[in-house]
Amino acid sequence: MQRKRIHMLVLAGGLLGGWMMAAPLMAADAPAAAPSAADAEKAAKEKAIAEAVAAPPAEGAMLANTCAGCHGTNGVSGGPSMPSIAGMPAPYLKSVMADFKSGKRPSTIMGRIAKGYTEEETSRIADFMSKAKWADVKSHANSVLATKLDDAKAKKGKKHVDAQKCGKCHEDDGLTQDEDTPRMAGQWVDYLLIKMQDLKNQHLTIPQPEKMQKAIDKLSAEELEEIAHFYASKR
Amino acid sequence: MMNFTRRGFVKLTGGVAALGLISAPGISLGADKKRVVVIGGGYGGSIAAKYIRMADPNIQVTLIEQNKDYYSGPLSNWVIAGFRKLDVQKWGYEGLKKHGVEVIIDKVTGIDPAAKNVTTAGGKKVEYDRLIVSPGIGFKALEGYDAEAMTKMPHAWIAGEQTSLLTKQLAEMKDGDPFILVAPADPYRCPPGPYERASLVAHYLKKNKPKSKVIILDPKDKFSKMGLFTGGWKSLYGYDTPNSLIEWVPGASGGKVTRVDAKTMTVYTDMGEYKSSCINVIPANKAGEIAEKAGLTDEKGFCPVNFETFESTKHKDVHVIGDASMATGLPKSGYAANSEAKVCAAAVVALLNGKPVGIPSYVNTCYSMISPEYGISVAGVYKLNAGKIVEVAGGVSAGDAKDFVRKQEALYNESWYQSIMADTFG
Repeated sequence: MQRKRIHMLVLAGGLLGGWMMAAPLMAADAPAAAPSAADAEKAAKEKAIAEAVAAPPAEGAMLANTCAGCHGTNGVSGGPSMPSIAGMPAPYLKSVMADFKSGKRPSTIMGRIAKGYTEEETSRIADFMSKAKWADVKSHANSVLATKLDDAKAKKGKKHVDAQKCGKCHEDDGLTQDEDTPRMAGQWVDYLLIKMQDLKNQHLTIPQPEKMQKAIDKLSAEELEEIAHFYASKR
Repeated sequence: MMNFTRRGFVKLTGGVAALGLISAPGISLGADKKRVVVIGGGYGGSIAAKYIRMADPNIQVTLIEQNKDYYSGPLSNWVIAGFRKLDVQKWGYEGLKKHGVEVIIDKVTGIDPAAKNVTTAGGKKVEYDRLIVSPGIGFKALEGYDAEAMTKMPHAWIAGEQTSLLTKQLAEMKDGDPFILVAPADPYRCPPGPYERASLVAHYLKKNKPKSKVIILDPKDKFSKMGLFTGGWKSLYGYDTPNSLIEWVPGASGGKVTRVDAKTMTVYTDMGEYKSSCINVIPANKAGEIAEKAGLTDEKGFCPVNFETFESTKHKDVHVIGDASMATGLPKSGYAANSEAKVCAAAVVALLNGKPVGIPSYVNTCYSMISPEYGISVAGVYKLNAGKIVEVAGGVSAGDAKDFVRKQEALYNESWYQSIMADTFG
């Protein structure tokens, strides 16, 4: 069962970023006219941005702590749709951030944020987060939208995981990781589900190893949900 | 920026006097222990207190907050529109105590920057080496908007009791009455907030009071995420059609409200008057009461600060963060307050240890809802260069995003809230 792919689709984050990058170019193509106050203001703004980008980077903790508003203190997320990133391998985090920045990896918001960091800054964030301690996610009483773990679904999920040989890459039931594989055990079930749905979404082209995409293509939405419950339930 | 200087204006403040006094056990100070006092336990102050303790457990941190419970402003518009309970907006200070923060529930009545102490309504005098002031907002005077008017025409711009009042008034509003939303002039807390509120009230009206509509009376001619909001309003609420559930009256078309009368439930603009049984008045903002009282504000009503440390340019060893500060370049959002607090906390730790202050980094991430399944966002990454906060990247959600993207952003909004609250109070 081959999934239809739309190769030409430009994704939300990429589109916005592309437009932002194209804007100065378009201005440069405009016919030469006497510089207006607006042009001068724009040029000053661009100069300020270029200077700020080139300015020395902040330390890892300072940079990484700005992530906590969405990804939780030291990368342990409190929100069911936001991934915990504590203890993820630095190479994985760096490559994901680079793909967000280039637009290769689709996103709603991360593309806009990733563009704010130089390679050195991203590297410092990744190093900080990789050293942070993983903690299995825990729902606060105020978190009313979080999906509760379902043992029956998790049991069925285990069967699909075995059938698809997910454990070849996602070793020890998603508990340990190679450099380029994210941890899934103890992650938010909602987040895992959103990401797997994204992999089936015809409007999205997500950088994935071929065998990962093939496995996802074979599974139904229901089976993917069961797999999400399985990995999220592993502690 | 507007200035309300008419006679008869009543000075308003955002706070309510604390009722009780609950004090955590005091920690006795060693001779070399440094003490930081934080005023205000919201999105800014709580983070500053926690992150100082995380970075340097040798610093004693005392947080003084006037209310036992904290109600989050972000997501409180969901409550008003009837699809969220106020209970899940409520947070306490137990988590901060676990980080070793001493929490005092009391109202600060004075700051003495020369003697370096603060005094409270409960009669306490607390000394500090460095003070962090994070009092949120108060309101500038608006003719007719006194303490009583505030209960009849709630602002609901400081969450809690005010949120309940507006929720109740909307629920009881007669089908056919307009929901009048008086939007504030710049700069104010949560720039997209009034328009998110208008959106979610329209969503409520569509289902529950189809003969009613929202009228936004605005002193401004443009607003935050404007293209995304009006785009969403067109697809969901018939915006720009005769049957629109939202009518936006910009300043240029007479949207500027000059006075209100709570007895007759009327608001007056330059060009006319509007009446309803349900009126939401959000006056122009200024820094919270204590900042003004302590001489930390400028003529615009907010607190000028150094962007590297958030130290006040008015008083030494006093820092101001969050909506009360004038962090030019950053919006007055909860996420910006969180980010400012972390920059301030790192600077305070460095200064108290006689070390150089590190290079700051700031982020803002802010979601708004146009309906319960339609989320939009703005994000920004900022660096300090030549004394100015510069947005190096960011922007708003794509204007032509597909429905599944809007749905995901709606989910991310609530998860944003859970994570930032865990960061703040956990």
